Amino acid sequence: METLSNTSISTQRPPAPKTSHRWLIALPFFVAIIWSVTGLDITLSRLLDAPGDAWAILRQMVPPAFNEVYKRGAVGKIFESVYIAWIGTIIGALVSLPLAFLAAHNVAPIWIRSPVRQLFNAIRAVPELILAVILIPVTGLGAWAGTIAIGIHSIGTLGKWACESIEDIDEGPIEATKACGGKWVSGMRWGVLPQVMPVISSYWLFRFEINVRASAVLGMIGAGGVGSELVSQLSFRNFPAASAVLIMTMAVVLTIDSISAAVRRRIIKGADNTDGNSRTLEAITDLTGIRS
Amino acid sequence: MNDDTKTSERPVKPKPRARSFLIALVLLVLTFWAAIKVSFDLSTFWEVWSNPIWSKFWPIPWDWVFTKKNTFDPLIETLQIAVASTLLGCLVALPVSFAMSSLTTPNKIVYFISKTVMNLVRAVPDLFWAKLLVTAIGIGAFAGAWSLSIFSLAVMVKLFSETVDAADPRPLEAARSSGARHLPAVKTGVFPTVFPSYVAYSLYIFELNIRASVVLGLVGAGGVGRVIETQRQFFRFDRILGLLIIIFGIVWVIEQISVSLRKRLV
Repeated sequence: METLSNTSISTQRPPAPKTSHRWLIALPFFVAIIWSVTGLDITLSRLLDAPGDAWAILRQMVPPAFNEVYKRGAVGKIFESVYIAWIGTIIGALVSLPLAFLAAHNVAPIWIRSPVRQLFNAIRAVPELILAVILIPVTGLGAWAGTIAIGIHSIGTLGKWACESIEDIDEGPIEATKACGGKWVSGMRWGVLPQVMPVISSYWLFRFEINVRASAVLGMIGAGGVGSELVSQLSFRNFPAASAVLIMTMAVVLTIDSISAAVRRRIIKGADNTDGNSRTLEAITDLTGIRS
Repeated sequence: MNDDTKTSERPVKPKPRARSFLIALVLLVLTFWAAIKVSFDLSTFWEVWSNPIWSKFWPIPWDWVFTKKNTFDPLIETLQIAVASTLLGCLVALPVSFAMSSLTTPNKIVYFISKTVMNLVRAVPDLFWAKLLVTAIGIGAFAGAWSLSIFSLAVMVKLFSETVDAADPRPLEAARSSGARHLPAVKTGVFPTVFPSYVAYSLYIFELNIRASVVLGLVGAGGVGRVIETQRQFFRFDRILGLLIIIFGIVWVIEQISVSLRKRLV
């Protein structure tokens, strides 16, 4: 009898957690929704018209006028965007690599580390487009303004990522070079660089993917590349041509993304495709700054 | 003795393969070609620094900057765009991410369609969406909020569906083996384990949206970028600089709050 009542107690459901505080958490969200919607001058008629307007434009975009934009030289414009991204990434990579060594807390003293870190943060805070807005009056319209803007912005992000991967290294090799009488520079060259180079170079490629999109956008304000083409076609309301530009840009972006992703996978994982998923996930958590 | 000297010898350096040379050569040629195409010129760095136009950036007219009409009203509009599009984008992203993950997808067709559509959406840069929607539904914050919602949806599903992929499959299996149907199984088996990262990613998307909403106005999609664009056309770079200092001060404060929240969550 005693044992029976015990079993019946142990098979009872645990008490459900209290849910009253959920409303307390939900409240700020409702306030945020209402507050943010008030600023977007939404009227019911606008809300109802929007899908119809979007559909009307979408219908005019089919079929895309590939021939027309090809004759206008849109292909060259798209490749100009890719060139801007490439050179911008190289500028960012070359400048950020030495700076990252000065910013990592395990290899650099505090007096040099904190100003370099602040520099990375300051650069990262300003988007490429804002940099281009400032640079265009100085350098003039064109691809070079976009290249410098992308190069400068890449220094910030690439520097931060490289610095974080330097901080994650195994410090044994640095100690080994020290024990052989190596100076700081040789410690970095033989102790750190071989460890971090695969990760850092895959970050460079990842940044290149981002920069291709960024340089396409930079054209919209006149900093070279395909953006200007899209803006002018849309302003003339020449929707078949605009959709052709859009589709060509998407094709190039997706092609570069998949090539670059394949190369990155090869760099990080090596030729044998062993543990795949965890590494990519690791890279993503790293790149987004969310660490478990 | 002989053996000892042999082991202390340096190992043979691996010879670089012909393929490596070829790759290096191709990259080098591509780089030079690209450098010519973007009119790469190191001397411009000097010209940039000595350009007299820099004097137009100074002094900053603070009394113009610190007014409600010029700075703070557009800035609030920017924040509203960012908040609204983060909420909308991340809300829609939740079911789409579960449909896009191989672990929790209801069936292969939904998986394939959602993955393809989202990849295509992500291939279009954020400001292209803004410009398209401005053309379609009119200039202003309304179009800006829509375009950022679409873009944050595309980025969010990418990040979050990969988290769902990596979730522990055992609770889901347990729920299924006890006879749960698909949706309840996902809700009780997977959702609780990935929810903290969902919130953390949403905050990250919010940070992205804050930055993006600053520049939306450059293509006519509302917010503080509209003021920058107007002043740019008047060559009032001193005003732009003042505005930028205020904007990035505020953006920085919001980001620090968001980053510290994210650190606590994960």
